Amino acid sequence: MLRRALIFLLPMLIVPLAAAQIRIGSLYNVTGDMSSIDAPGNNGLRLAAKLINESGGLLGQQVEVVTVDGQTDQTQLTNAASRLVNVENVVAVAGINDSTFALAAGPVMQAAGVPFVIAGATLPTLPEQIGDYAFMVPFGDDAQSFAIVDFAIDQLGVETYYMLYDQAYDFTLAVREFANQRFAERLGAGALLLEDSYQSGDADFSSQIARLRALPTPPDAIFMSSVPSDAGNLVQQFREAGFDQPILSADGFDTPLIVEVAGDLSDGVYFSTHTSLSSDDPQVREFVAAYEAEYGHPPENAFAALGYDAMMLIADAIRRAGSADPAAIRDALADTQGLDLVTGTITYAPGSRVPTKSVTIIGVQGGEYLFQAEVTP
Amino acid sequence: MTRERLDTVLYWLLAAGAIAVALWAQAGWNNYAVRLLTYSGLYVILVVSLNIVNGFVGIFSLGHIGFMAVGAYVSALATYPLARRPATFPTLPEWFQSLALPYPVALLLGGAAAALVAAVIGFPLLRLRGHYLALGSLALLVIVEQLAVNLHPVTRGSRGLAGIPMLTTPLWVWAVAVVVVYVAARIKSSGFGLLLGAIRLDDVAAAASGVRLTRYKMSAFVVSAFFAGVAGGLWAHLVGVIAPSVFSYDLTFRVIVMLIIGGLGSITGSVVGALGLFLLPEAFTYLEGAGTHGLSQLLLAVVLVLVMIFRPNGLLGRRELSLARARDGAGPGGRLGARTTGADRPNPDDA
Repeated sequence: MLRRALIFLLPMLIVPLAAAQIRIGSLYNVTGDMSSIDAPGNNGLRLAAKLINESGGLLGQQVEVVTVDGQTDQTQLTNAASRLVNVENVVAVAGINDSTFALAAGPVMQAAGVPFVIAGATLPTLPEQIGDYAFMVPFGDDAQSFAIVDFAIDQLGVETYYMLYDQAYDFTLAVREFANQRFAERLGAGALLLEDSYQSGDADFSSQIARLRALPTPPDAIFMSSVPSDAGNLVQQFREAGFDQPILSADGFDTPLIVEVAGDLSDGVYFSTHTSLSSDDPQVREFVAAYEAEYGHPPENAFAALGYDAMMLIADAIRRAGSADPAAIRDALADTQGLDLVTGTITYAPGSRVPTKSVTIIGVQGGEYLFQAEVTP
Repeated sequence: MTRERLDTVLYWLLAAGAIAVALWAQAGWNNYAVRLLTYSGLYVILVVSLNIVNGFVGIFSLGHIGFMAVGAYVSALATYPLARRPATFPTLPEWFQSLALPYPVALLLGGAAAALVAAVIGFPLLRLRGHYLALGSLALLVIVEQLAVNLHPVTRGSRGLAGIPMLTTPLWVWAVAVVVVYVAARIKSSGFGLLLGAIRLDDVAAAASGVRLTRYKMSAFVVSAFFAGVAGGLWAHLVGVIAPSVFSYDLTFRVIVMLIIGGLGSITGSVVGALGLFLLPEAFTYLEGAGTHGLSQLLLAVVLVLVMIFRPNGLLGRRELSLARARDGAGPGGRLGARTTGADRPNPDDA
């Protein structure tokens, strides 16, 4: 066991020799259940670092990204975070797309005084719960819920709605709460005709459908607060039951499953998300092309773009701070204003570490995910 | 000095050594090394306590982590910061909103809660045998997870509890580990342990000889569950956030693999298995690079297969690190105790 202890102590001796680079930690679950969104995130982050290095690096130094795999396991993830911060001595850590994992790993960075840029988790209270070294790249669930509701009211003319939410996730509970709040604010309490719930993984929604059908007047829209794995089934079953109204959701619907499972029935589904990878925006096109050139295939989902943006956000902060000191980076991050990134423009209001960012609305039409609008709620 | 006395001295030396290392770590080690030391201790507690049931009594229980979950939630609720309780648990009654317990009390409460669950579940569960018992205990794991997911007012469901005060230190963990090893060793070398061994070897014959099966199986089950509950409390206050997904199959099988690789029935084996199978995979992750994530898990699998080929009864079988090993006799440390049930393969190199 003593020998094993020495093996761990060894990297702590080697690392200081490599101090001529700026070391950034990439904390993702590259293997395990979350790998479908985390591996692209890691790819995006590393791609950004590579492009930065090709155009001269940061402050005259090359950026080195150290990726340690969380293995979608709480113990491994927190150990990985600790390794990045305490052994690899990185000056900033970016990554993680899930709020529960972010809450487990965040305290490690906070305690060590290393900025933690959360790439893809959307719980708006994360930075508050973790501490002043935590920053979010994505908008919070409040922003995206407000955005999709505003879009529905302003662009689709929705006046009444039905709410169906998943009881199993912080994310879906939060979206439900914020969506209800926005509808009530803008249309009054009478806009909600009926609210119902289910548990993630339920295969059959006929009881919820029956209760909806029993309403005297049908709602103008159906809001589904769900995670990707249920999205396809929900759309298919409700459409097959004869409900043609627009279906609304948050970024939990940003999944190919909707078209794969519901096929033609998926027309008229609208959801808020971080970016539309098929958008004409030159930054998006540039990112997609670079990703494809590097990895041989287009980015799998928006989380790849979020990882890319996380690295770019840190790079911008380092440039403005003129230093790679973690405390200076943290202060520079907090001052980020109008930074144009692939997934939107990031500005942190004073005291807030959740960005005011525009939300992309996507509508499904003819089997295609089409950009509808960009809303800043 | 008799050889048995030498073993006692050896144990106390190792225990003192563990506590000394824990104190040294708290005083000055790199945070990463401190984490590794703390997790190692946690796994030692989990594996040794599981050994009491799976190894000594021969019951293949898969529900150990369910007890850990009970202890984690109960102790987390007991120490949850008062200021945040109204926001996190809005529907819980007044007495809860103002009752914060000290850390040691919370840990004991978590252990007691787990022990209580074991006592209640044990009656129907321990009547089963073999594969049926294994599945029944797995059902316990599932039930605890479902309760955690659905009792929203108390557990916050799948969201889990965040903001648990991070009170666990290496000293806490290794102090409990020292106690668990002591308890397990005392059980193993006592008359109680002898009876557990009899139940393991042939429970029908044991019952026919007057051994009260239920009472003894229950005792072992409850003691084991108590320590699992304490381990859960230590875990919750180490990571600061717990969710139902943490206490699931992955952790269950990780602990069972550590137990089996170390040696079913060997306390030393449990310690070795826990330390080895926590630190070795961590060391392997240093071999991973940009394109080779997952290599550490592959290497671990290879190591496990090799161990199973060359040491099918685990690294230590049923033996202990002992200076009194050479004695013959009916004790669990001696030759008769080294025999395994029909379900295991015979071990030619047992003492």
